[in-house]
Amino acid sequence: MSDVNQAGDGCGAPAGGVSVTAAANVGNQAVVEGRVLRDNVPLSTGYARLLGTGDEFVAEVPLGEDGGFRFFAAPGTWKLRVLAPGGARADRDVPAEIGKITKVEVAV
Amino acid sequence: MSRSEALVDAEWVEAHAGDPGVVLVEVDEDTSAYDKGHIRNAIKIDWKKDLQDPVRRDFVDRVGFEKLLSERGISNDDLVVLYGGNNNWFAAYAYWYFKLYGHQNVKLLDGGRKKWELDSRELTPDVPQRAATDYQASEQDATLRAKRDEVVDAIGKRNLVDVRSPDEFAGRLLAPAHLPQEAAQRGGHIPTAKNVPWSKAANEDGTFKNDHDLTEIYRDEAGVDFGKDTIAYCRIGERSAHTWFVLHELLEQPNVKNYDGSWTEYGSLVGVPIELGDAR
Repeated sequence: MSDVNQAGDGCGAPAGGVSVTAAANVGNQAVVEGRVLRDNVPLSTGYARLLGTGDEFVAEVPLGEDGGFRFFAAPGTWKLRVLAPGGARADRDVPAEIGKITKVEVAV
Repeated sequence: MSRSEALVDAEWVEAHAGDPGVVLVEVDEDTSAYDKGHIRNAIKIDWKKDLQDPVRRDFVDRVGFEKLLSERGISNDDLVVLYGGNNNWFAAYAYWYFKLYGHQNVKLLDGGRKKWELDSRELTPDVPQRAATDYQASEQDATLRAKRDEVVDAIGKRNLVDVRSPDEFAGRLLAPAHLPQEAAQRGGHIPTAKNVPWSKAANEDGTFKNDHDLTEIYRDEAGVDFGKDTIAYCRIGERSAHTWFVLHELLEQPNVKNYDGSWTEYGSLVGVPIELGDAR
């Protein structure tokens, strides 16, 4: 596969989920990141989805060990949806701006 | 192939994962997911280390595939049930890959690891031991895999289905939104391609939508001509394997190929046509 893919970045999840304790290299990217908590404890089993207009699917990642997730989005306003065991679900509207990290914390 | 022949559900896996002649295989992009816990009796295949040539951008050859399956204890007549994370992207990729090398007795766990986790079903760190076999593979089935020259020649003649997100299709992003934006030299899509993001085929829990809805999405809404041959592509060929599975295995379209070179290859080719902008 290409160098990109040899580096572990295919189309799916980064290995081991995302750790938000490791800073993203923002550069000219629009980053949305955060973590998910259940009873004030990071939730490591669950999924974060980024949705566009009309709840159109954009991307999804499994939560990291620290409950973390990260997206490199296009600039704009997105809906963040968290899916967790037990049918739990939470939605947040989040902005994304080039050169910035939008941080979100979600309790489910 | 049909839905009942290509898919199993979680209840089936719980009842049959330990049966003789059934091999459960987890394939993830997050190759560490298996090590943290997997479905009981499942073995692991690493889509990168096990299925890709370590030097060239290509698959392992037939002999390499035979060696892999022999080492993992998979026999030619075993039923292989694949599952993985990310809505079964890489499991679908492995499914297509197994078919490519002639293993016909293969199924996907509908919903994959995601639905299994969201349903709070058991995961275990225990790694099963399987005796080695002498697996014999076929040469690659060229009717399932598209290469670049065939893709360029298909412009305006066959269905081209770009399964990436609308932002990638339009050229605004070069990779999915959860990855750093680096990949091909140019953004955009192959002229005449329809944009049907893979996600349209999946429910929120990762299971596949029903055949009626899938037909509406591809044929009626996107305008994929079911009377023509089809090539699906994405960025590196695994999301499009998910769509290949939908079109070829669930909707039983006869001539569907996956272009695994996909946008990382096409978007870096010199001189080929590229279109920018949203789907029309």
